[in-house]
Amino acid sequence: MRPIQLFQLAATQARWLSVRQDVVAGNVANVNTPGYKAMDVEPFSSLLDRMNEGNQTMAADSAMHLVSDDPNDAVKTEPVRDGVTIKPSGNSVDLPQELIKQGDIRSQFELNTGLVKSFHQMMMMTVKS
Amino acid sequence: MSDPLQAAMKVAASGLDAQSTRLRIVSENMANAQSTGATPGSDPYRRKVVDFSSVLDRQTGATEVSVERIATDPSDFTTVYDPSNPAADAKGMVKMPNVNMITEMADMREANRSYEANLQTIKQARDLVSMTIDLLRS
Amino acid sequence: MIDALQSLSALSTARGLGVSALDTTTSSDAASAAGGAGAATGTSFADTLGNMASGMVGDLRNAEKVSFQGLQGQASTRQVVDAVMTAQQSLQTALAIRDKIVSAYLDISRMTI
Repeated sequence: MRPIQLFQLAATQARWLSVRQDVVAGNVANVNTPGYKAMDVEPFSSLLDRMNEGNQTMAADSAMHLVSDDPNDAVKTEPVRDGVTIKPSGNSVDLPQELIKQGDIRSQFELNTGLVKSFHQMMMMTVKS
Repeated sequence: MSDPLQAAMKVAASGLDAQSTRLRIVSENMANAQSTGATPGSDPYRRKVVDFSSVLDRQTGATEVSVERIATDPSDFTTVYDPSNPAADAKGMVKMPNVNMITEMADMREANRSYEANLQTIKQARDLVSMTIDLLRS
Repeated sequence: MIDALQSLSALSTARGLGVSALDTTTSSDAASAAGGAGAATGTSFADTLGNMASGMVGDLRNAEKVSFQGLQGQASTRQVVDAVMTAQQSLQTALAIRDKIVSAYLDISRMTI
């Protein structure tokens, strides 16, 4: 019994988290740039929905592809709209908020790699004599 | 965008660069807060300000930051009555730099905070990469 | 998984095969398990092993399901970690038993007649 679906989901989440980390890094670096608007990624569930829609016909095929060229799979970024205060300079980055996002990214990533490692080890155990 | 985590480190590094330039300018301002001119009636040290702008890195698709220019603060100089000063004009008034220590201190605190935040981002991106590679360890 | 192990040890006590280390659990547990094992004469060694194997598969499936939910934010981290740990324990136990059975079989097959 091989949990391929779990590894696939974990890989997708790891990709989403990496893009989110990149976007947060951009926000933090541009905290003092006039006119810069804070960005974030689309929610994970909306990425999954879009990927599932696109892969209805190629379910078996997609299981083998770890890196896809399908533009459907790219994580979308959008400007932050909820709870945004725009400073006089036109900049909308809230540093504490970005650091909280970073903490979330880290703990989700730790769970992700922890799970992958555990299931991988279990699979390897069953094959070793 | 081959590896977003590497891109994140690059972006945060550009942030560190920009904030440390800002800190350098702030300390220049503070050091020259009392620097008057050399000849009578001449202008003193004029406060410098840093202009940031965001830069889209084509390769990674990430938004870095860079110092667009180091401009000068156009606000007026204050004048002080000090006839013994070499820069004193006919009426004994000396033009002083348009540097306000309180503003500079606040600026320095904020620059430090932004610098720390960028540093935190680099550390985290590096840790995430390390966690990923760790999967290969037994 | 623990229930299966306890019933296994109670089985050996009921059949007089000697005291196993697992009997150090509470006497009431052993007594009720022994009562159950003794009464159900249909419970054989093979059945217990079969239960253990399906128990392991069940634990693994549950771990996979809870992990799925955890990655999507529907289960708490603790739930996920608990499910995975249980699965690891089951798997490790089942593998140890499999290895023992294989070596026992090899021993038997080497016995001179």
